[in-house]
Amino acid sequence: MDKHIKKVYVPMTETGFYILLNLRQEAHGYSIVKKTEQMTHGEVILAPGTLYGSLSKMEKDGLIAFVREEDKGKIYKITDLGQKVLDLEIKRIQRLYESVKEMTSDEKR
Amino acid sequence: MKNVKTVYRYFSMCQWKEEEKWLRKMANEGWKFLRTAGFGKYYFVKCEPEDIIYQLDYHPKGAYHNEEYRQLFEDCGWEYLQDKSGYSYFCKPASHMNGGDEEIFSDDQSRIEMLNRVFKGWMVPMLVVFFLIILPQLFHLGQMDEPIEKVLFVIYGILFCLYLAIFVFFAIQYAKLISSIQKHE
Repeated sequence: MDKHIKKVYVPMTETGFYILLNLRQEAHGYSIVKKTEQMTHGEVILAPGTLYGSLSKMEKDGLIAFVREEDKGKIYKITDLGQKVLDLEIKRIQRLYESVKEMTSDEKR
Repeated sequence: MKNVKTVYRYFSMCQWKEEEKWLRKMANEGWKFLRTAGFGKYYFVKCEPEDIIYQLDYHPKGAYHNEEYRQLFEDCGWEYLQDKSGYSYFCKPASHMNGGDEEIFSDDQSRIEMLNRVFKGWMVPMLVVFFLIILPQLFHLGQMDEPIEKVLFVIYGILFCLYLAIFVFFAIQYAKLISSIQKHE
């Protein structure tokens, strides 16, 4: 993987993470907002300026790709590179989660 | 046409935060923003006082020709109003928001990126003009004695002050953003 990609996207912003997570299936911009809202029970609401900026940057860096045009706008999908970056990020978050679990179970003892 | 009024108020290209606040204040006072013609000219229409949030984004090419971008804002409940010098104007009534304080940016990275776009689009060309034209001309004309050269000297002097003021405004905007980000953390 490119050094630039690693530097910019590992770790990545919450916005970037939810974009990649949701684009494992084809989707347009607004459906990413809706799905993220449902997924996080309304805790993460992506704003359009932020989402648009991330989508353009990720498309330019080849993490996601334009699939086709529909009424509701451009449809995107994650690329192989995007999937690799997402896997790295998921591993990192799992590690964080494991550390927290270990720490709190140690304290209980 | 008594229901429409024109207000003159000048905001430089780095005072969009002040502009947003002022447009919101006007709506709260019963004057809904219609459009701006540039050079500080704003049109308002009389309305019931309402809390409307205004937000500006900056893309050098504007939003008008970018359908995907405008559609996304519309889907999120932001009404697109117009473009002006790269700035796109959006508004959304506070009553349509959860909690009433939504913005078009939801993280600090994207706020910094907007600032960087303004820097590239406005400040870099202005810095080039400042250092390659205004400053050398000022030095050159300052040593001349002809009346026309004295007049030119004054004109360049005014430009010098104007540019300097805009650079200072931009620096303040930048510092404000950085300090608001540090407060979050």
